[in-house]
Amino acid sequence: MKFTLKIWRQQGPNEKGGLATYEADEIGPDMSFLEMLDGVNQRLILAGEEPVAFEHDCREGICGSCSLVIDGVPHGPDRGITTCQLYMRRFSDGVTITIEPWRARAFPVIKDLVVDRSALDRVMRAGGYISVNTGGAVDGNAQLIGKEQAETAMDAASCIGCGACVAACKNASAMLFVAAKVSHLASLPQGKPERARRVTAMIEAMDDEGFGSCGNLYECEAVCPKSISVRFIATLNREYLRAGIVESGVPADPETPHAESD
Amino acid sequence: MMNRGGYFQSALGGRMVASLTGLGLVGFVIFHMLGNLQIFEGGDALNGYASFLREMPILLWAARLGLLAVAVFHIATTVRLALRNRRARPVAYVVHQYRSASLASRTMALSGGLLLFFIVFHLLHLTAGLVDPSIPNRLDAQGHLDVYGKVIHAFQNPLYVAVYFAGQLVLGLHLSHAVSGSLQTLGLEHAALNRLFKTAGPAVAVLVVLGNLSIILAVFLGLIHT
Repeated sequence: MKFTLKIWRQQGPNEKGGLATYEADEIGPDMSFLEMLDGVNQRLILAGEEPVAFEHDCREGICGSCSLVIDGVPHGPDRGITTCQLYMRRFSDGVTITIEPWRARAFPVIKDLVVDRSALDRVMRAGGYISVNTGGAVDGNAQLIGKEQAETAMDAASCIGCGACVAACKNASAMLFVAAKVSHLASLPQGKPERARRVTAMIEAMDDEGFGSCGNLYECEAVCPKSISVRFIATLNREYLRAGIVESGVPADPETPHAESD
Repeated sequence: MMNRGGYFQSALGGRMVASLTGLGLVGFVIFHMLGNLQIFEGGDALNGYASFLREMPILLWAARLGLLAVAVFHIATTVRLALRNRRARPVAYVVHQYRSASLASRTMALSGGLLLFFIVFHLLHLTAGLVDPSIPNRLDAQGHLDVYGKVIHAFQNPLYVAVYFAGQLVLGLHLSHAVSGSLQTLGLEHAALNRLFKTAGPAVAVLVVLGNLSIILAVFLGLIHT
């Protein structure tokens, strides 16, 4: 197969970027999208040119590293997969494919197609954890959790933090990401003691990072490689309301106990 | 632990203010449409209803000021959110494709802005009577203000019919996303009720728009006349 690629090239965070056109020849239909890019890079290297920087790690859809907007859709034309799980047979032979990085103020471009997603890590650090005493591991079934609760928590926990929700959102909002984390922990007994503090801290951290707000367009759900439902955003909203109403009498805690120093 | 800027200063808190005030305005729009449908009962019914509202000036002005306050809160909050959202993506995509977002959901700021223009026009036109100097401003046989006559006069003119028609389409577009979106923002979500919540927006929009358009068209087509 043969493709024309229009790839976003940007030397550095403060450089001006633009689309550059490359020809991808001798591409097999069973190659993944990333393998196709590997091939393009190999040719660039042999020709003495700078290869295209893009992020990747596990290449089996679980690490959340790969992050390409392909023809205007994060992770490309198929639903419920990451870029590394996309195969070239999905495209018609000879078409032009545009490849861009995630775009958001909170995700500044480092180089070409690689963006800095540490904003999501800082949101997690604000409250995406449970506080437990260290010591011997707790017995597996010491705390029984209902099937439905466990399933809900697992559905939310399937988020791999790739940031496609932010990339697809008209407002570059990270609501689906935060919703998945908050819903995951709030639906389990271990997460309940800190639920009010967690949701306020994570919402605040999300605002501080410069993400937008949710307009209920549901583009996030449509591009999520784990198909995380927007009903978790409703859960997040309920958690936030609950934190504001039920727990507003809790005395303020100025420091997050596990905050790391920068 | 509360947000530094307060609960409602966060983007999500702002969304909740916008949703609550928005739903309040939707309530008014439905009430307004139902009240106006009394035009089909004849001039006495509509003028009687209008004078009934004016008989209680304190209540009327309390309602008007309350409505104005709700509208101001709604507009101020949504403008703040829209500016924030614009800042959130400084570099636009070269190619961008929407997968599931409806036209209404993508154009809320535009439809909201146009709606504000329409509402101001509507107030100047039919409430204050400043747009059209030829609009009759007289009393009917019972000594009530002849609102009926005003409406008939207005919608016999194709220009005003066109403006109100466009206004209603924009209102319908805004409401069709607003109601369902607000329910989600307020956390109203349940497996058994989601279908109801999802249809609530379009249903309210269709109801209000058809109700209002029926008045305009009935006058324009001469089904209702003085």
